[in-house]
Amino acid sequence: MRLKTPREKRILYFKTTLRWFLYYFIIFSCFIIMTSGSLKKPVLLVPVALLIAVNNDLMASAYTGAFCGFLIDIACGRLLGFNAVLLTVFCVAATLVFELYLRKKFINYLVTISAASFLQCWLDYKFFYEIWGYADVELIFSSVTLKVWLYTVISTVILYILFKIINNLLMPKEHLTIEEVIRTS
Amino acid sequence: MGEFLKSTRFKVLLAFLAFLVGIMIYSVTKGGYSLSAASFINTITKPFRFASNSISMEMEKNADRISNADAYYEENLELKRQIGELNKKLTEYDDLLAEVEELRKLVVIKEEHPDNIFSQSAEVMGYIANDPFKGFTIDRGYADGIEPYAPVVTPEGIVGIIIEVSQHSSTVRTLLSPDLSIAAICSSTNTDFGIVEGSVLAAENFRTKLIHLNKDHGIKKGDLMITSGNSGLFPKDYAIGTVTEVGIEANGLSAYAEIEPAADISRLRSVFVIMDFEGKNDEEKEDNDEAEDTP
Repeated sequence: MRLKTPREKRILYFKTTLRWFLYYFIIFSCFIIMTSGSLKKPVLLVPVALLIAVNNDLMASAYTGAFCGFLIDIACGRLLGFNAVLLTVFCVAATLVFELYLRKKFINYLVTISAASFLQCWLDYKFFYEIWGYADVELIFSSVTLKVWLYTVISTVILYILFKIINNLLMPKEHLTIEEVIRTS
Repeated sequence: MGEFLKSTRFKVLLAFLAFLVGIMIYSVTKGGYSLSAASFINTITKPFRFASNSISMEMEKNADRISNADAYYEENLELKRQIGELNKKLTEYDDLLAEVEELRKLVVIKEEHPDNIFSQSAEVMGYIANDPFKGFTIDRGYADGIEPYAPVVTPEGIVGIIIEVSQHSSTVRTLLSPDLSIAAICSSTNTDFGIVEGSVLAAENFRTKLIHLNKDHGIKKGDLMITSGNSGLFPKDYAIGTVTEVGIEANGLSAYAEIEPAADISRLRSVFVIMDFEGKNDEEKEDNDEAEDTP
């Protein structure tokens, strides 16, 4: 997008600020949901981080991934940094994959998020339960890990719609307008 | 007029009046009960009267609403203000009630264990997301004097142990976790020792397990297990839970018992942290003393 006037610049700054404010509002809300109640809940911050990452530049994705990861660590009582590292890697990888290979379609989002979420859940299970050799530990995988992963994948649909709306309204357009093309040519 | 007084119509009228007076006198003698005819009429007309009455009441209400709208509006505002005040008072009352309840609990534990030093009541901020062993976070941290590995209790019994302390919050590992072991003794036999340690299977039903029990133990269903205080990690004589099932381990070398925790771990609202107790961390203190002595 070509910015010509100060007014257009101001609008862009405003939209970007509002977009990031909404992103972080959603992150905060998801964190609150994850820390409420005693039932099994989806790890909402994984799809949130990835949905933000694939629509933004690499560094912003990495920072957001790390931030969401830290929040997951706090909500799930994990070693602080464990999920932050994982999500940073996932977010950067997702950004690159979407930049280079994949089109921004719902099915691609769903597959990517499902894979990342499964990996996160599986690593969590490996490092926090299986590695310690508890008796009947595989029960945790079937009754907790898989359920949480499934809930996360289902919740992705709602989060996708939410982010689609925000991005449609507030994301700067990457293509030139007809007037811009005419003027440029 | 004279003709009317002499007429038959007048006589009939008088007779009728006399009849009515007679009925009146008769009904007086009935002592409060209506005559059967009146009763019959009342019964027949009852539904109609109800319907009619409700219609007229509704109409009166509407008329009243229209004519006194301003007065009702003012009254409504006043009532709303009063409700607001009452709700505020109710909230304060509820807070006070909760505080009194917490203090009452603390008094109960204090009376039972006078040697222990307790923290103020700690609210449960939330359970750790998707933790199969129901770990949770409380709203007291090192600013309130909470230290790692301090026991966490409710008036009903032991809940767990502090594993991580922040400034204003702490994380609690419950006795459903396989990472927490508590030396326990049966309160009824006073001779059967074991280790209470969580297991994945038992935690599914919010229960924990008593392991390393002698095969010839005398523990039976319904017995209460209490802390033995041997480890220095937990104070003595705190209720852990009741035995729900007894069996022999798969290796055949020892027995086990399934324990239902005395405190309902899945629905905790507030807990107390034991800051200090008799026999606490003796080994640790000795180690520290030795370290201090070393030049």
